[in-house]
Amino acid sequence: MNDDELRQRMRTADPASALPPGDPAGVARLVEDVMSTELTTENRETGTHERSRLTWIVAAAAVVVIASAGILGVRALTGDDTTPPPVASEPASIELGVSGSAGSGKCMVPTAEALATADVAFDGTVTSMAGGEVVLEPTTWYAGGPAASVVLTAPSEQMQEVASAVSFEVGGRYLVSAVGGNVTLCGFSAPYSEELATLYGQAFG
Amino acid sequence: MAQLAANQAQLECDGEVPGPASGVVGQSGIVDESRRERFERVAPGLVEPLRRYLARRTDADTAEDVLAETLLVCWRRIDDLPEEPLPWAYAVAANCLRNAERAARRQRRVAAKVAALEPRPVAAEPADDPDLAQALGRLRAEDAELLRLWAWEQLAPAEIATVLGISANAASIRLHRAREKLRTELRKTERVSGHEGSREGRTS
Repeated sequence: MNDDELRQRMRTADPASALPPGDPAGVARLVEDVMSTELTTENRETGTHERSRLTWIVAAAAVVVIASAGILGVRALTGDDTTPPPVASEPASIELGVSGSAGSGKCMVPTAEALATADVAFDGTVTSMAGGEVVLEPTTWYAGGPAASVVLTAPSEQMQEVASAVSFEVGGRYLVSAVGGNVTLCGFSAPYSEELATLYGQAFG
Repeated sequence: MAQLAANQAQLECDGEVPGPASGVVGQSGIVDESRRERFERVAPGLVEPLRRYLARRTDADTAEDVLAETLLVCWRRIDDLPEEPLPWAYAVAANCLRNAERAARRQRRVAAKVAALEPRPVAAEPADDPDLAQALGRLRAEDAELLRLWAWEQLAPAEIATVLGISANAASIRLHRAREKLRTELRKTERVSGHEGSREGRTS
């Protein structure tokens, strides 16, 4: 089999050969979307005043609290929502994932009483956003923890099931809480504000 | 989701792609309009090949996200984009795809703990030519990828070199060797599965 034949044989087996060409209107829209995306530092230097904000739309998310060393506080997502996960010792990080059962939660006005049911609650700063994760460095623990960092993961499958949005940006300070495996949104997890901090203080004071 | 993924790309998936330091971009990219014009001219031609590149290597959802990330890197680094942008864009896509897969693997580990998420489907390998799929599978990953870039993306060795971040000379030599290895593996596979075309040499 010479090179051409070999190449031809591979091309016959090209998995993309059945892929229909993209719709030109869709391509044009994609290109436009990309250009209208807020850029980071480089663009700011060119004189546009874009915020380096990553708008992370986090689903009404189930949270998996995982101690990194395998000292786990994992429990069924449908399980009891009030007992905190058993954490045997301080983990290096707590990982907050998103489950398949997110969505459909209704918002209510944040109250200290409702907030008090959170088993993970902290005041922290976003240190990085990369590879599908937001990493926060907690400065104050109200509940759960302690851990050196908290990793929020949001896979694509759940992104459609958006119930609320939290805008994260690197260096920003946030108050974040999670109840029984669910990240609490609807105003419970949000950029730091005095009012919300007061609420956190009352809930866990 | 595209927005989310695209933003992440700014932070990391162009890390290994050659080009001037990003600080330079700010100084040279003064005229925003010319950046737009160039991107509008170049990007539509990148979309289709990148779609195909990704469709060959990952599932549909990931492909869509990584396409958006890749284009965003191209837009942000439009001043670094070479005259022949496609191999460079493939290299960006490869980085973005690696990141996406890392994240997916991490997610699967979490999912395994709580049994809440289905694993993602793996990338498609040629299904209608199982001998070829097997033979490719037995090659080293780098060799198989080199052959895919050659046969599926139809790149020349110099372009493959750009995608893989190696010298054109090295790409040429490795491609030659990879083809030889594939031929050898194909012969083995076909002998085992009895698909060999000519058996007249055999006596029994």
